[in-house]
Amino acid sequence: MLDYAEPVTKLIDEFKRLPGIGHKSAQRLAFHIMRVPEADVERFADALREVKRRIVFCSICNNLTDVDPCRFCASTSRDRSVICVVEEPFNLVAVEKTRSYNGLYHVLHGSLSPIRGMGPDDLRLANLLTRLKPENNEGIEVREIILATNPNTEGEATASYISRLLKPLGARVTRIAMGMPVGSDLEYVDEVTMDKALANRHEI
Amino acid sequence: MLLESLEVHKFRNLSGRAAWSAGLNIIYGDNGQGKTNWLEAIYVLSTTKSFRTQRPQEAVAFDEELAVVRGRVARSLDVHRDLQVTLQNNTKILSVNGKRETAARYLTQLHSVAFTADELETVRGAPEARRRFLDRGAVALHHSYIQTIANYNRVIKQKNRLLQDASENELNTDEVLAIIAPWNEQLITLSAEIHRTRTDYVNRLQETLERRLFGGEEVTIRYVSSLEGKGDLSDYETLIAERLRLRLEAEIAAGRALIGTHRDELEILFDKRDIRAFGSSGQQRSALIILDLAAISVYHSWHSEYPLFLIDDIDAELDGKRIAHLLKHLEGRTQTFVTTSKESLVKQYQAQASVYEIKNGTANESHVGSFDAGRV
Repeated sequence: MLDYAEPVTKLIDEFKRLPGIGHKSAQRLAFHIMRVPEADVERFADALREVKRRIVFCSICNNLTDVDPCRFCASTSRDRSVICVVEEPFNLVAVEKTRSYNGLYHVLHGSLSPIRGMGPDDLRLANLLTRLKPENNEGIEVREIILATNPNTEGEATASYISRLLKPLGARVTRIAMGMPVGSDLEYVDEVTMDKALANRHEI
Repeated sequence: MLLESLEVHKFRNLSGRAAWSAGLNIIYGDNGQGKTNWLEAIYVLSTTKSFRTQRPQEAVAFDEELAVVRGRVARSLDVHRDLQVTLQNNTKILSVNGKRETAARYLTQLHSVAFTADELETVRGAPEARRRFLDRGAVALHHSYIQTIANYNRVIKQKNRLLQDASENELNTDEVLAIIAPWNEQLITLSAEIHRTRTDYVNRLQETLERRLFGGEEVTIRYVSSLEGKGDLSDYETLIAERLRLRLEAEIAAGRALIGTHRDELEILFDKRDIRAFGSSGQQRSALIILDLAAISVYHSWHSEYPLFLIDDIDAELDGKRIAHLLKHLEGRTQTFVTTSKESLVKQYQAQASVYEIKNGTANESHVGSFDAGRV
């Protein structure tokens, strides 16, 4: 016998499919839904449907967008000669928040990880190679590719793989620096970060 | 460092408090009363790990939600700190003076070295146990080394899967090379760092090794790289890169990583013979004690303080002569905790030790059976 009426059980099961949601959270969310006014639930359901219907991958950079090409790739004020490669769309947002980067992006939607079944063919890489040809980039030559994958073993492997792929094509490939977080005190930095920061020190 | 007192709640069969003394503490009692549990609690408090299980959460008493181990540590005459480890479900909460701390900071407060029956694997088990012994000691010196090991293990795991997949999908060598190169690149850097750290640690152990602590036989150790005899080890990066290139086909055939520091070994010789194959069980115990003492000395020369030394079931592991040598050697050095079920041992050492009798998990310093209470 089910603990709850069938529709409730179905809803709990659906919530449980979401990442990071266990049984207890799913139950809480389901009971919340049952308490709120119907109009709120309609709005929520519409938002779910709409995001699925309207959000697509940008055909140039793979960013999630409601217009193709996305607003970065379509922009006339951005520097088309630099491409910053990130793992996920939320990594792109993190770079964009700096407001100091004015180049284009490329989103891989993952990183190399054999144990999770992610190989080079599972990364959205093919269209990065296409973009390097000036005729596919409004006549502008790409002079630098910045690899901003995560600083863990999978991110490093991904960066290394891409640089091996691109270097023979003559592109300048750079890797974002690792080191001290700005605005914090030296004493709060963990030893690994401190180690990296010392190794990557520079003349002033 | 000095553990002044320890309080435990719902940790295995223990609940209660014990105040310890600076020198030798003898935890005495019949089997099954909880002697080793007290030792384990001290180990958990000082390392956040257990010497019995990979998951210290298993030590939460049956039918209980959480276990707490709390201790007061004297860092100097006037500096005392309260450390606490709370074990619950899958989490471990660490705090110092009531404030939550990260593992890295917490671990700088207290450290201990444990001699237990399981640790004998270091001298008679597979090479992995000896690599763990070295890594544990090196992490106690450079905490950031723990990340190096984690990254290395991760890279090996990824590479093994890749090699497995490659043989299943019958990829040719060039195809494998293209996808494996990014992992080998990290493997080279991490292996070099591990090789450097372990070699340095073994050199430090060598310098302090009391080779003849227990008499005539001599213990010698040497770090043996799996790349030994394959080329110039002083240029490790170049050598391992070369080996990875040469052995790629073999790795594909084997379906796992064959090159790297996960194949290295710590050679332990007792009178010039391999202790693992030729050592008697008494010699193996002697050798482990000598290694543990060296680890304690290295820790001391690095941090200028001694870790705690925990010895489980001391009379089962060592004979009377060796116990006497050992306790004499430790005098004035470590705060030492030993467990025993032998009355005779308690009688022999009670003048120089504090004795705690364990009954049903509770430590009573004042009622030490028929003996006088140990000194406080």
